[in-house]
Amino acid sequence: MPIVEARALTKVFRRPDKGPGLAGSVKHLFARRFQDKVAVDHIDLSIEAGEAVAYVGPNGAGKSTTVKLLSGILVPTEGEVRIDGLHPQRDRMTVAHRIGVLFGQRTQLWWDLPVRESLAVLRDLYGVDHATYRKRLARFDEVLELGEILPVIGRKLSLGQRMRADLAAALIHGPRVVYLDEPTIGLDLAVKDRVREFFRSIRDEGTTVMLTSHDLADIEGFCRRLVIIDEGRIIFDGDLEAVKDRFARERILHVETARPVPLETLRASLPGAQVTVEESEVRYAVRFDRFIMTAGQAVTALAGLTDLVDFRVDEPSIEDVIRRVYSGELVLDETGPRR
Amino acid sequence: MRAYRALARATARSALTYRLNLLLGLGTVFVQLVALLAVWRVILAQSSVNGFTWPQMRVYLLVAFAAGTVVSAFGDFRMAFRILDGDVALDLVKPVDYQKARFAETIGGLWIEVLLIGVVVGVTLAVTGGVRTPAGPALALFVVSMLLLVPLKFLIVYGSTLLCFWTQNFIGVQWARLAVMNLLSGALIPLAYLPGWLATVAQWSPFAGLTSTPALIFLGRVDVRHGLTLVAVQLGWVLLLWFGARLMWRAGLRRLTVNGG
Amino acid sequence: MRTARLYLRLLGAHFRALLEYEADFLILALATVLMQVVNLVFLAALFARVPVLNGWTFWSMVLMFGTVTLAEGVGSLFFEGMWNLAWQINRGELDYFLVRPYPVALQSSSAAVGINGLSNIVVGGLMIGTGLAHVDVVWTPWRVALGVLLLISSVVIKLSISLATNAASFWLSSPTPLFAFAMHQVGDLARFPLSIYPMALKAVLGVALPFAFISFFPVAYLLDTGQSRWVGLLTPLVAAYCAGTAAFIFKRGLRRYESAGN
Repeated sequence: MPIVEARALTKVFRRPDKGPGLAGSVKHLFARRFQDKVAVDHIDLSIEAGEAVAYVGPNGAGKSTTVKLLSGILVPTEGEVRIDGLHPQRDRMTVAHRIGVLFGQRTQLWWDLPVRESLAVLRDLYGVDHATYRKRLARFDEVLELGEILPVIGRKLSLGQRMRADLAAALIHGPRVVYLDEPTIGLDLAVKDRVREFFRSIRDEGTTVMLTSHDLADIEGFCRRLVIIDEGRIIFDGDLEAVKDRFARERILHVETARPVPLETLRASLPGAQVTVEESEVRYAVRFDRFIMTAGQAVTALAGLTDLVDFRVDEPSIEDVIRRVYSGELVLDETGPRR
Repeated sequence: MRAYRALARATARSALTYRLNLLLGLGTVFVQLVALLAVWRVILAQSSVNGFTWPQMRVYLLVAFAAGTVVSAFGDFRMAFRILDGDVALDLVKPVDYQKARFAETIGGLWIEVLLIGVVVGVTLAVTGGVRTPAGPALALFVVSMLLLVPLKFLIVYGSTLLCFWTQNFIGVQWARLAVMNLLSGALIPLAYLPGWLATVAQWSPFAGLTSTPALIFLGRVDVRHGLTLVAVQLGWVLLLWFGARLMWRAGLRRLTVNGG
Repeated sequence: MRTARLYLRLLGAHFRALLEYEADFLILALATVLMQVVNLVFLAALFARVPVLNGWTFWSMVLMFGTVTLAEGVGSLFFEGMWNLAWQINRGELDYFLVRPYPVALQSSSAAVGINGLSNIVVGGLMIGTGLAHVDVVWTPWRVALGVLLLISSVVIKLSISLATNAASFWLSSPTPLFAFAMHQVGDLARFPLSIYPMALKAVLGVALPFAFISFFPVAYLLDTGQSRWVGLLTPLVAAYCAGTAAFIFKRGLRRYESAGN
């Protein structure tokens, strides 16, 4: 049985359609007009225990709304959610013990309490026994280096410190499912690395993780499954590596030759590839499909024409792929890419 | 002078934006008006008490309401937060006098308060019956007293807000000020009802000018001579507080710079 | 039981944080005491000239004011967070409340401590105590038990009205509890005997927003003052009704909650 399951999940926000200022508000009192905005549109999603799922999409695609629906914060307009077979509103208390949520933009720490006290309050709220609590805290400390921030009052934490403390807060009760919504937003690189290492450690312990992020570097090397949402609909749901294989077929070979070589000569020796001149006339870029030729073949073909001073192969990142999906350049479906 | 006129105009225009504070401030005063009207109507139904008849008390309470509504919404919260944040230091770079600038803003916001007073007083009189206006000289004195009430109340509010330089707790100071003002101004109960010594203290305090003075003049409970004395006391307090607030402001700033804000 | 223990745990955390600002506490305590002193001076001055107001004497009025003060004190000290609900909704703080295994309304109400409640409880208690000492009531065990029940009921009514009016923030989009505050102000009318008001206000304070059951009706019953004394006996029922309605409104509000940032 999947641990998280959503069927035909839909959320429509109803916004009052008010004119500006006081006059608009008064008018609205008498003639109520609303504008419906479909934030999440009939989403089907099922996540197995232990999976690490990346949930990505452009701004306003409905990522956070989905997370709020899946954690029971919002009541769906249509469709339903099951966590471990439970109804998130009807069995709110039981579900609360099984899920952990982190919103990167917002803290759940008490602003007037030291981090240590905030975590202790959560410990008591979730009924975690002291031994387990100490063990978890010690483990979090290894990766997140909590020690130095435990005595700091909530409102005095820096962003990086706050996020580390919030991660501990979201996981202190050992939830089976964790939703991480933009957990690295605004962090500097060093903290990001540490936080990403923490993600891996909780995944390796068998916690189910759903990660929403703008920074696709969070996803690479962490999630096996990729779900892409756009305008409230899931437009792709599948294996992350497979996406890379299928869409990141293009390679770019950058070469620097000892002497200028006519473009036609180069093109003739590399059928199926596109060759262009880069910033100087001894530098060329060769774009090719890695299923048609390998980088080695390309280099060998060029080396036969002239002396190569330098070369480098670029492979597109998952970020490029997804950016092209957002911009509508690429259409993904289960069967393969179309251009 | 032009700068202050501009400030007053700016507040006058944005007055509606602060209608929220205004309504909250007005609510308390309005509820008090309704409760006291009901209480006195029952008490004075048969006979007058302490020389107050029901029609007189009704007018007294309406004047108290008007006096309580004037200068109730503008500035104090914003100013308190600017002092508490230390942002007030930024206001010093502007080429205007801080106290005069705040006073100009208060004047600018008056119109909406006057409007609200007009509505409430008008409706109350329509429901409970008309009112006899005093004769010429007393009426003139009443108008002067109401005009003096504006700077007087401004200075009391301004001065109590300046206390934020010394205490972090603005709300507490505010509550204490409201409680003291309510009692000693005669807004809650005419000063004549208070025990003799307290009535005397109240009479000579700056607070009497906030309700008791204009109300008594309007009711004709004091003759013009006595009325003149009371208005002179009002004026005296305005001058005293104006310069006293300046001293406080200077001391407060010194404290701010010493603590590094 | 666990819920109550955890509630004190949540409050206690803030309480300790508050104690760091002693000066703040002193100023607030002084200000609230001053407010009650002003109320008492007012009552004393009024009743020095008129012995009774619709059957109510000075001491029975002190009893009434004291009950309101006590109920408000309990609200501030233990449930001040309710007044932050509008803010919590607007800032999306409710998101985290909803994923924790503890009642959302209690997480909200425990989010702040109104330290001024402490002085209101003390002063209110003193007012009730002295008021009772000066009135003519024959105290049987049954009457004492009833008095305690009525007091608890009036506190429950006060809290329920606060919760229900603050829960209006789920529908209104203001970040400040304007509506709840306005209703609270209307409630101040119920410090005085309901009988002095015109019919419309009686209906509002007795039925629509039963502020009159916080002090007027129960005290009138206990002291055998005024007309329709028996109404005071309904106080526990009104309390149950108010608590149920408040919980219902809050639940409906939660279903409507749309979180922030959408």
